[in-house]
Amino acid sequence: MKKVIVIGLDGFEPKIAESMMARGELPNLMRLREQGGYTRLKTTASAQTPVAWSTFSTGTNPGGHGIFDFLTRDAKTYLPLMALSRYEQKNAFVLPKVVNMRRGTPFWDLLSAKDVESTILRIPCAYPPDKVKGRMLSGVGVPDLRGGFGTPTFYSTRKELHTEQSEKVVNVSVANGKVTTYIIGPRDPKTKSDHKFDIQIEIQKSENKIIITSQGQPDKLEVSLGKWSKWLKVKFKVGMMQTVSGIVRFNLRQLEPEFELYASPVNFETEEPLFPISSPQEYAHDLAMKIGRYYTAGMAEDHDGLNNERFDEASYLDQCRTVLRERRKMMEFELGRFQKGFFFCLFDTPDRLAHMFWRFTELNHPANKGEDVSRYAKVIEEHYRECDEIVGEAMKHADPDTLFIVLSDHGMNSFQRGLNLNTWLHDNGFLALKPGFTPGESGDFFQNVDWDKTKAFSLGLGCIFLNRKGREANGIVADGEAESVRSGIVAGLTGLVDSDRGAVAVRSVARSEEVYRGPYASEAPDLVVNFSEGYRVSWDTPLGGVPHGLFADNTKKWGGDHVIDPALASGVLFMNKKFSAESPSLMDLAPTILNAFGVAKGDAMEGSDLIP
Amino acid sequence: MKILAFDLQGAKRAMLLADERLENLRRLMDMGCFGELEGNPREWNVLARHEAHILTLAEFLAQAGKDVAMFDEASALQSKLVSGEWDCCQFNASFPSDGGSADLYLDFDRGLGDALQHLSDDTLILVVGELCFVLVASSNPIDGYQDGSSLDLTPTVLELAGYPLPANIEGKSWVAGMELNRSSGLSDDEQAMLRERLSGLGYI
Repeated sequence: MKKVIVIGLDGFEPKIAESMMARGELPNLMRLREQGGYTRLKTTASAQTPVAWSTFSTGTNPGGHGIFDFLTRDAKTYLPLMALSRYEQKNAFVLPKVVNMRRGTPFWDLLSAKDVESTILRIPCAYPPDKVKGRMLSGVGVPDLRGGFGTPTFYSTRKELHTEQSEKVVNVSVANGKVTTYIIGPRDPKTKSDHKFDIQIEIQKSENKIIITSQGQPDKLEVSLGKWSKWLKVKFKVGMMQTVSGIVRFNLRQLEPEFELYASPVNFETEEPLFPISSPQEYAHDLAMKIGRYYTAGMAEDHDGLNNERFDEASYLDQCRTVLRERRKMMEFELGRFQKGFFFCLFDTPDRLAHMFWRFTELNHPANKGEDVSRYAKVIEEHYRECDEIVGEAMKHADPDTLFIVLSDHGMNSFQRGLNLNTWLHDNGFLALKPGFTPGESGDFFQNVDWDKTKAFSLGLGCIFLNRKGREANGIVADGEAESVRSGIVAGLTGLVDSDRGAVAVRSVARSEEVYRGPYASEAPDLVVNFSEGYRVSWDTPLGGVPHGLFADNTKKWGGDHVIDPALASGVLFMNKKFSAESPSLMDLAPTILNAFGVAKGDAMEGSDLIP
Repeated sequence: MKILAFDLQGAKRAMLLADERLENLRRLMDMGCFGELEGNPREWNVLARHEAHILTLAEFLAQAGKDVAMFDEASALQSKLVSGEWDCCQFNASFPSDGGSADLYLDFDRGLGDALQHLSDDTLILVVGELCFVLVASSNPIDGYQDGSSLDLTPTVLELAGYPLPANIEGKSWVAGMELNRSSGLSDDEQAMLRERLSGLGYI
C-alpha cells in the first residue's frame, strides 16, 4: 500500500453505530462496511483511552507498554499518580524533563526505521512526543499550565460560592461597571502561591457583553453573553528569567444580578510550550500558523465546567463542536498535503460528549432528577452523524492503493451506580482504618487508613493493589499469603449484588496474570474489577476514599462511562479492505498497518495482520 | 548537607547577577537568595581569627573530619562531584581586574550547569563574586534579595548546612534564630494541588 489512513473516534459505541446503520444512517461508515467490512473491536483491560490507544500503538497487551489506568499509585506513599507521564528531575537544581510512561515500541518507530513517513495527530500517551519520521502532535496526557488534566476558573460576585471538583473560584466585585481580576497560572513550588496574569473587565450591559483588557493578545477581547470567546494569549512571569505563555477562552454565564464568567484551563501555547507537545518541536506552532490557535491540552473538552454547572449543556455542546471543528481543520490541512505513508487523526469528542449526554438517553438515570431529557436525547446520534461526515471527508483522500481504517478504542455505556470499592474492602476485612474511624470519616488519599493492618486497597478506575511486603512502604502481605488474599477478594466481589437494585454489579475480577504479561506486567494492579453495565467504581474511590455505604447513585452529569468489563466495552472497526479475523483486537492493528507497508511486525507485538 | 562553593575572585556583580543569559545561575537565584556584600571581598570564607591564624570555611570542615577539596580546574571538580564522595568542594577562579568579558561569565555558567547535574538535593550551593553572592539550600528560609557583611556568609552557610557554629566567630549567621525549612510529608496545600491536578480527568 502507498497510504494507510486511520481515523480514531474515541469511545465510539458499536451498539449506537449499529442501530443507526440499521436505519440507513451513517452513510460513509456504511460504505466502508460494504467495501471491506465492519466488526466490533476487542478493547483492553481496562477499557480506558490511554490503555487502549497504547495497545493500538505498540501491538501489545498493557503488560508490554506499561499503561494500565489513567492513574497508578506511588508504592512509597500510597498516593495516586498520573500514570501516563512523569516529570523527572535529577535534583532540585536542574530543570525537570517529562518522560513518557508508555513504553514498548510503537509501530511508527518501525515505519520510521524503514523510511515510511507518518503524520500522527493527537495520539494519546505520547507526551513528550515520540521522535517520528514525519510529524506528531501529542494528545491525551498533555496537561494544562497547572500541570493537571485541566483546572478551569470561575469568577463570580456571589460570596458564598462553593469550590467544586477541580476548579478555582475567584470572588470578584463590580465597581463602576468594571471588574479587576486575574487569570490563574502555574503554582510556584517555592512560595506555594499561584502566578497571576492581570485582566480588567468592562461590562457593557446594554450589549450583553464584556471587554477583557490585558497585556495579552489580543489586548482587548470581547465576550458575549452565553458564548465562548476567542483565545486570549497570556504570559506569566514565573521567575527572574522565565515567563510561561498559555491560551485561555471564556464563557460569559451572566451579567446580572450576579456577574459570572468561566475561564477554561490555561492550555500550552504552541509557540513556546512549557514542554514539547510535537515532533519536530516546532510542528505544533507551524500547524497553528496554518489553521489558527487550537486546544493543546489532552483533555480539550471542558467537562468539568458542565459537571460543576458553571455553564449549561448548550455551551458544552458548543465547545465540543469547536473542538471537533478544530480537529477536522487539522485533519483536512494535513490530508491535503498527504501523498504517501501513514496518517492518523484522533477525534476525542465522541467520548467526551457521550460521557456528559448519556443520561439524556435513559429516563431512569439518577442524574436526571426529574429533568425533561427529551431536549438532548438525540445529541449523541447527531454527533455520530458529524463524525460520519468527517469520515466521508477523509475517505476522499483514499485511492485504490490506500488502506483506510476507522476505529474506536472502546465503547460507551450507562453509569448509574457506583461501587465504593475501598468500603467493600474495609467491610470484608481487607482494609483497616485507624482506631476510632469508620467509613465516611476517611477523606481522599487513604487518610486514616491503618496500613499496618491493610491487605488491599483500591485506587484508579477499578484497580486493586495488595499491600505487599517489600513493595508498598508499609506492606504486610507476604509472598506466601498473596494468593489467598487475592482469592478472598475475587470470591467476595464476583457476582456482588447491589441489593437496592437487585442487580449484579460485578461480573468478575481479573487477576493480573490473566490479563497482563510482558516486561511491565509487574507494575500492574494485582486485580482489576470488571463491572456490569450501568455500574462503575464510585466517584469517591479513585483517589483513595473510603466513604460510607457500598453503593451510591451517580447523580453527576457525567452519566455515561465505559470502564466496565472490557467484554461489554468493545469499540468499532471499519476497513476498506476485506479482512478476516475471528474476534479482532486492538493489538491486531499495528501488525496490519505495518504489513500494509511490507514492514515486519515488531518482536513484542502480539496481534496478527487482519488482512488475508 | 554537602557544600559546593564557587569562589570567583574579581567577578563583578553587574556581570554576574544581571545577565539573563546566565541560565543556570539565574535558576539558582530564583531558588534561593542573592545580593551584595560589604567589607573585604576576600574575607567571605573567614569564620574566626586567633592572632595571626585565620579559620576558614574549608579549614573548619576539614577539622571536623569532612572530605574537603579545592579545585581550579572544572574537569577535576566534575570528576569529584561524579564520585559522590565529598562533603565540601570549593572551586576557585580569578577574573581579570576589569571584571572581564561577558564570555567569561557565560563559560562559568556552562560549567556551573555541568556541575549541577551531579548533585543531590541535599547540597548547599554558594557562588561568591566580588562583594556579591548567590546562596541556595533547601533549608534556606530567606529568598530573594539579601545584603550583609562578607563575614556573615560562612556562619550562614554552616548553619544552613547543619553544622554547629563554634564560639568566637566574627560574623553573624543571617538565619540565626530562624526556623529552617525542612521537607516533610505531604502538606494540606500539596494534597489540594494533587487532587486538583488529577480530578480534572473527569473520571474521578
